[in-house]
Amino acid sequence: MQQVKRETILALNQTRNQLSSLDPENKEIIIHAGAGLETALEEIPAEFEDVSQTLILCLQALQAIYQDQAADFETALKAILGALIASEQSLGAPPNPISELMLKQARTTLQKELDRGAADETLADEPPAFEVRLESLDDVSSFLIQLELSDKKGLESVCEALKTISVDEPDKEKRKLIVKAARELTKIVTGKAPDADAAFGSVSELIDQANGQMPIAAAPAAVPEPAPEPKIAAPAETPVKAVAPVPEVAPLKAVPPPKPVEAEVPEVYEPDILPVDADASLVSEFVIESYELMEAAESALLALETEPENVENVNTVFRAFHTVKGSAAYLGFKRMTELAHHAESLLSRIRDREIRCAGGYATLALRSLDTLKAMLNAVEGCAVGGAMHLPGSFAELIGVLKNPESHGVNDDNEIFTAPAPQADQTEAAADSFSMDEILEEVLPAVIAGKSDFARSSLLNTGDPNEDVNKKSHSHDSSVRVRTDRLDRLIDMVGELVIAQSMLAQDATVVQGLHHDLSRKISHAGKIVRELQDLSMGMRMIPLKNTFQKMARLVRDVAKKCGKQVEFITEGEETEIDRNMVDLIADPLIHMVRNAVDHGIETPDKRQGAGKLVTGKVKLAAYHAGGDVVVELTDDGAGLDPEKIVAKAISKNLIESDKGMSENEIFRLIFAPGFSTAESVTDVSGRGVGMDVVRRNIEAMRGRIEISSEKGKGSIFTVRLPLTLAITDGMLVRVGSERYIVPTVNIQLSFQPNQKMLSSVTGRGELVSLRGELMPVFRLHQLFDVRDALEDPTEGLLMIVADGRRRCALLVDELLGQQQVVTKTLGQGIGKIPGVSGGAILGDGCVGLILDTAEIVALARQNTSAHERAERRDDSQKQAA
Amino acid sequence: MNIETTATATKTDVKNHHGGKFLSFFLKQEEYGIEILKVQEIIGILPITRVPRTPEFVKGVINLRGKIIPVTDLRSKFGMEEREETTETCIIVVQTNGLEIGVIVDKVSEVLDITDKEIEDVPTFGTDVSTDYLLGIGNTNGRVRLLLDIERILTAQEVVQMQEITATSEAFAG
Repeated sequence: MQQVKRETILALNQTRNQLSSLDPENKEIIIHAGAGLETALEEIPAEFEDVSQTLILCLQALQAIYQDQAADFETALKAILGALIASEQSLGAPPNPISELMLKQARTTLQKELDRGAADETLADEPPAFEVRLESLDDVSSFLIQLELSDKKGLESVCEALKTISVDEPDKEKRKLIVKAARELTKIVTGKAPDADAAFGSVSELIDQANGQMPIAAAPAAVPEPAPEPKIAAPAETPVKAVAPVPEVAPLKAVPPPKPVEAEVPEVYEPDILPVDADASLVSEFVIESYELMEAAESALLALETEPENVENVNTVFRAFHTVKGSAAYLGFKRMTELAHHAESLLSRIRDREIRCAGGYATLALRSLDTLKAMLNAVEGCAVGGAMHLPGSFAELIGVLKNPESHGVNDDNEIFTAPAPQADQTEAAADSFSMDEILEEVLPAVIAGKSDFARSSLLNTGDPNEDVNKKSHSHDSSVRVRTDRLDRLIDMVGELVIAQSMLAQDATVVQGLHHDLSRKISHAGKIVRELQDLSMGMRMIPLKNTFQKMARLVRDVAKKCGKQVEFITEGEETEIDRNMVDLIADPLIHMVRNAVDHGIETPDKRQGAGKLVTGKVKLAAYHAGGDVVVELTDDGAGLDPEKIVAKAISKNLIESDKGMSENEIFRLIFAPGFSTAESVTDVSGRGVGMDVVRRNIEAMRGRIEISSEKGKGSIFTVRLPLTLAITDGMLVRVGSERYIVPTVNIQLSFQPNQKMLSSVTGRGELVSLRGELMPVFRLHQLFDVRDALEDPTEGLLMIVADGRRRCALLVDELLGQQQVVTKTLGQGIGKIPGVSGGAILGDGCVGLILDTAEIVALARQNTSAHERAERRDDSQKQAA
Repeated sequence: MNIETTATATKTDVKNHHGGKFLSFFLKQEEYGIEILKVQEIIGILPITRVPRTPEFVKGVINLRGKIIPVTDLRSKFGMEEREETTETCIIVVQTNGLEIGVIVDKVSEVLDITDKEIEDVPTFGTDVSTDYLLGIGNTNGRVRLLLDIERILTAQEVVQMQEITATSEAFAG
């Protein structure tokens, strides 16, 4: 396929070369070129419909030249050449808006050329002079004065010229006028205008209006060149923007006041296709960058709601959409471009103080953000050549964005009402999305390779004081590093620490005979330790982003429940391991949702209870004793112990609350299927939330605590280790082997005496500790260690929990506590039951980290197998 | 792109009983060879941590500069008797298909070129190694080396492991 394409391009190129030196008298070459085109046409793959159509038009035009029917030889030839260039380019590049646009324009020009030729045929003796002149609005208006109303042909050509001019018109406002004029003219020509004379008058007026506003600089751009290359046309615009005294960029500024949109026909949006030859790294780069922009935009949007006057925030959001739009257009993601474009229009209205970023507008902007994120997601998950999934609400959202007011969006209402019936349909085209316009705006930037083009022009908007402001917003520069590289670096630093300590403990050094050497080694030791701190810190990222998500969640949930909630965050700069950040988001979402949905009361109730109408939800994070503590405080209704107990009893979780402390009662809410919410809403109340929360937090080796006072609020405290990579472990010895048992799994360890031990049927062993009977499992038996202690009274029993039951593991001795970095045992060895991983110990050897839950399961399986075997032995004996 | 293709081509060539560079080593008196492309490095013997509940031939795991990798004893894999470590005992770190595994051998000998012509087909008996695991027999200047399909051996480990586990669970059940 690629091959065919290349050949076709070559053939087209040849034809073009032949034609470029064409003499109207030399029919030979025309025939030759025509034949070349025909072959090329046959070769073109089916998916290049556009190209084929263009080429067919080219052929027709060639034919016209051949038969001397062309209105003007020069322009016709130019049109053909332009079309050929466009075809070649779109064949050579992946489908993209630029080539599509070029093709379209080439076709229009060709068609016009052909039509003109045909018109000349019929009006053989009328010179086609005026056609050529109608290249600017000036020409049109002067031509109109001479024109008679009865001259349909003339009117039509004016109409045609206006359309061409409008395509090239950079100014939205003017383009609208021109398009309107063209419409009026069409009405006159088709005889639909009720009063032709009046209509004609309004046309001249419109054109004069448009003409009057037209800056001289923009005039050259309006020349309808055959297939003008946007690349060339666009830079001509930039200087104008740069020197413009008005702060805003010209095309952006002219955002029209809201006008009714063309008929609300539900448009069908075809999802974009990820081109087969798309540059994967480019696309993923785009996705990452866009995500970051969207995150920034979201926080800026939320900030805007509290201080709508902050220009810098509007600009942040605007810039985000603008950059995404530009990049998406460059990559050919039409739908995304479209959405970003419409969102941008909305934001530019906010920026121009036309509307306030509040209520419905804010929600609309946030919705656009979400949809764009969903689309980015789709791009990520899209296979090459596959269609990108469009979010279900895409069409509707575009509809609302196009005209928020007609959908009942304003700055205080919250819910979109049904779309209002549409009035005027004539205004539409100019207002609706146009690819040209976007290309015009963004192409210079994309081509120049600086997607921050918008930034440079937009930042001029504010007063100079803002510069100070901006600095505080600026981020420290950073580099993206692949996680596996980072992990490897941390590994290596760990090794360095071990190597260093081995050196420091070497007999030669320890003896203290070489003072110089000792000094040097201790100096190296300091450097190594600092390096270790640094490398551990590299994995850490602040909780800021996670907290930001919560801010959004609080806002949305509060709106849904009709509550007023103030969300406060504290210590969002607290750092935590990057793996944990993702893990903690989920439980936090549940908790925050619960706090707003169940915790905070409705405004009426709050007023009744004598509280402030606006509820408070506070999320705080801080370091405490080597842990990261995340605290969620609300001043809502608090937990009601009686209600919880009643619910727990009805769910058969407990029999009675006798002897249960308040804390134990609160912990009941973590039981699966528990929910005190009276009704199940789509926000919460299904009773899976807190169960999931507990499990997720425990999976991170964290703990969750609740304190609450009825009527005053609750505090949920989550304690997490700084990082998942480091395990707090107890080093135990079994025979000559050492193992690491995670400290969190050990409840207690003790040396039993003979009285505490008893055995069941000679095999199973039990230990009784403070009246509780627990099975004893010998680690050396399970792991087949030969030189271990056999007598439990000489060794140690470690109590570990296995779900609700507890059991004791026999080890020889505890060697001490150690923090270790968990690693896998390597692919070649697979999963070992009872072992969760390995760690490098202080002496450079590998220690295995035990998974106590698995060990207990293994031991139980073992004993039950033994018991069964024994029973069978017994029965066999009896049978004998 | 081109380089990659050639690299894979070479690999497949080697697999198809073609010559190339081999690392030769000893187990007992027998000399073996493995493709040099699959050897990452050769290290002296390190303290090995035994991993419980693994097959006999899995010696355990070692700390290879901060990375934990498993170590296989080729002797026990091939059913030979165990031997005390000597100063010549080595671990050859093999890297293939994303697997990184240490292989304990008695002694590493040399790196040598073996041409296509010098590789003979595997005889059906006469070695400790099942012929399935051999690429061929290299015969250079009268010295015979058994060329191992190390990838196959390491994959076979998986198979053996499975059997062992089934065997143990059967033992429990029985």
